[in-house]
Amino acid sequence: MTTEASPPAAPAGPRALARQRRRRAAVRFWRQYRTHRAGLVGLAALALFALLALTAPLTVGSDVAGVTDAPGRPMESPSAEFPLGTDRFGRDLLGLLVWGSRVSLLVGLLAAVLSVVIGALVGITAGHYKGMYATVMMRVTDWFLVMPALVLAIALATVLPRSLGTVILAIGVTSWPTTARLVRAQTLAVESRPYIERAKALGAGHVHIMTRHVLPNVMPLVLAQTTLMVSGSILTEATLAFLGLGDPTVVSWGGMLQDAREAGAVSAGDWWYLVPPGIAIAGVALTFTLCGRAVESVLNPRLGVAR
Amino acid sequence: MSTQDQHGRKRPAARIPRFRAPRLATTGGFVAALALTAALATPLAPAAQQARADDGKKVLTVAVAQSVDSLSPFLATRLVSTSILRLTYEYLTNYDPKDAHAVPGLATEWKPSADKLTWTYKIRSDATWSDGEKVTAEDAAWTFNKMMTDANAATANGSFVTNFKKVTAPSPTELVIELDKPQATMTSLDVPIVPKHVWEKVGDFSKFNNDKDFPVVGSGPYILKDYEPDSYVRLEANKKFWRGAPEFDELVFKYYKDGDAAVAALQKGEVSFVSNLTPAQADSLEGQDDIKVNDAPGRRFLALAVNPGARAKDGERFGDGHESLLDQRVRQALFLAVDRETLIDKVYQGHAVEGEGYIPPRYSTYYWKPSADQKLAHDPAEAARLLDEAGYQKNSEGKRVGKDGKPITYRVLCHATDPNDKAIGQYLKEWWGELGIGMDLQCLDNVSDPWLAGTYDLAFDGWSVSPDPESVLFLHTCDALPATPEDTGATDNFICDKKYDDLYTRQHAEYDPAKRADLVKQAVSRLYDTGYMNVMAYPNAVEAYRTDQIASITTMPEGAGNIYGQDGYWSWWSATPADSGGSSDGGGSAGVITGVVVGVVLLAGVGGFLAMRRRATAEDRE
Repeated sequence: MTTEASPPAAPAGPRALARQRRRRAAVRFWRQYRTHRAGLVGLAALALFALLALTAPLTVGSDVAGVTDAPGRPMESPSAEFPLGTDRFGRDLLGLLVWGSRVSLLVGLLAAVLSVVIGALVGITAGHYKGMYATVMMRVTDWFLVMPALVLAIALATVLPRSLGTVILAIGVTSWPTTARLVRAQTLAVESRPYIERAKALGAGHVHIMTRHVLPNVMPLVLAQTTLMVSGSILTEATLAFLGLGDPTVVSWGGMLQDAREAGAVSAGDWWYLVPPGIAIAGVALTFTLCGRAVESVLNPRLGVAR
Repeated sequence: MSTQDQHGRKRPAARIPRFRAPRLATTGGFVAALALTAALATPLAPAAQQARADDGKKVLTVAVAQSVDSLSPFLATRLVSTSILRLTYEYLTNYDPKDAHAVPGLATEWKPSADKLTWTYKIRSDATWSDGEKVTAEDAAWTFNKMMTDANAATANGSFVTNFKKVTAPSPTELVIELDKPQATMTSLDVPIVPKHVWEKVGDFSKFNNDKDFPVVGSGPYILKDYEPDSYVRLEANKKFWRGAPEFDELVFKYYKDGDAAVAALQKGEVSFVSNLTPAQADSLEGQDDIKVNDAPGRRFLALAVNPGARAKDGERFGDGHESLLDQRVRQALFLAVDRETLIDKVYQGHAVEGEGYIPPRYSTYYWKPSADQKLAHDPAEAARLLDEAGYQKNSEGKRVGKDGKPITYRVLCHATDPNDKAIGQYLKEWWGELGIGMDLQCLDNVSDPWLAGTYDLAFDGWSVSPDPESVLFLHTCDALPATPEDTGATDNFICDKKYDDLYTRQHAEYDPAKRADLVKQAVSRLYDTGYMNVMAYPNAVEAYRTDQIASITTMPEGAGNIYGQDGYWSWWSATPADSGGSSDGGGSAGVITGVVVGVVLLAGVGGFLAMRRRATAEDRE
């Protein structure tokens, strides 16, 4: 990390120095991350999910989501041809499960990134400028914090046209306040350090301080927060899709659950329609949580792990 | 009640989603949540849960999902509301449950004058309002006069009285209606007759929803006792009903916004009747003990309505429907690309009949089907040819472009609450995609805003048709258009076609049944050719009821017909309670009790555990 003094190195340019320092930081990070067994398990599972989602066009292809040329009869039970049975259109559920991972992961990641970007922006500026601006921003944050996020997301998704972008937006703008508070606290801590004062004395402007000194210091926190936020976002995406607020023509895990419910799979006892997407959602959310916790315990200065 | 809107297009209430915890619950939280759910199960199960409640009352509970739009007979158009009004207000005539011919209601007999312009109805003297007053011809005359003089009172059933010249009641048992022109619907006036002494105190008929003062004074087989929006509607048997009191003491319409929840309630015996089952639900209920599945031809159709350029009666155009849809060839091409057989086979899994004309085959008198060369059968090649001919060629990317040079993408309104809309929408998207036409499926909880504003291109549309097709035919006349863009007309999707209007007017005035049927068929044929209303399917009525709670119930028509949403009050009036009622309640309440006990034990356990942990940490701290 940038705050730690790097040992004097052989004569080299400042850029090379910085690069060396970063490489060392990465190695140190990995060494510490390795000690968290749960984090490693999560990382491996995450790699598997990512691989499945990225190779889906090759393994199952986009045809799997087509309804007009669905291969089976509606609501078939599992068989050799369809290991997880078929859905209400006669589509292969295993294929849909793999194909649906793309949307679930994409929405989860983008929504988390959006949420953390908003949170970091608000947090850093509020921590830096203080005064009236900070008060206003923090009250806005408080307001979003006490609003039930799911209800707000539902309201947004209902009002806006149904599309993936809407879902991402709805999750992103409702889940940022915790990040904002966290980042603001860290910003305040960083800005009280003497070298910030020194930078100011040397004529550093607001933007320079925020981007060059504060941002690198809160970055670890932001990264950990993003990883943790992804699992929440995936769950919220599934929730919204399950409540019928997603784009009905897009295959996602939550959407599959909604389809199953609407087709009456619950009372018909067609478990193969309900259980796999449910497990997939829980599984991905769990892997992100595991990774996030491990990253957090390595990077978060407040957790004060082995320094 | 011909024109009930199954989907509640006019003013649908937002569906209420259940809360789902957005995050992984921690173990403690999860257990607590479980316990809470179990505890909540108690107040959720009402007293009127079984066919036989504790106080010996025989209660018939019906699961419904559609929200009530209004309980005022002058405003209500939704199926659930009009069904309730059928039960609470008697009409002049009713439909026979066997073959739907007119049978006496409040009127015991009726006869036209020689020129058929004056109709005299004899009003029965043995009917009373639920507050004890006698039902007289004066009540009926007042009801019709109100609809003729107050536009706000003509919202729901106005089409019946547009042609009335004068309605009088010379004596308490005689009602005389004078007409401007002959009118074919004089023995099927689907207008609830309201008590004058109650309703003459009402001020603004466009605002009065009849849902404040209970019990509501009525004359039907049931009396409206209580109503809580989206929760329940409670009706009590009218012991003084002239046709004979219903055998059930109470009829409760209970809300289940989720189909699976309603089915689970049926299985547990909390409700006696569930309608609108999905194929999977019907299959799973089939063959279960004490449950009978009724799968019969329905009285509904599901159509793809085209926005023909929204307009008002004053000629002003509004909305932004796609200009290409003004071309009949384009509309027909879109329908040619729809494979109805696949929809019946996959979406309805056989629980529907392929759609053709505007009137379902169940009404054989008026049923019309296109001849082989008139029929727009599934033919994508022909569809592509028609589009080419109309000048909508494919561009280099394979997308058809409109006259403005932009690729065509149609906005299709769908009801977010209807799973079939969404499923069919996915098929349409792919079929039209092959034609080179894009589609944006807009599934909304409330479709009425874009619908009334004309800001859509196509829409899923469905109406229940009654034995007399008058009202559903009226929906597509120029007369039904809103007066100005700000008004709401009776019109369905702004159709105004001269040829159709002409046929409508002629059938409206035709007394000879055979000639009238022929004119109706010509009108339906014309509607088919315009391509404005493309009927895709006639869905079956798929319903189920508990045989240990309902011993017998009348379907309409009696041979194979529906129970929910009939053209009369026959089903709920004729339902007889089963003697063995209550055999299922033991299991239900035992389940609830077990749930509560388990919940309490778990809560206590978690509480104890937390308390101990707290003490432990407190000690650690010190």
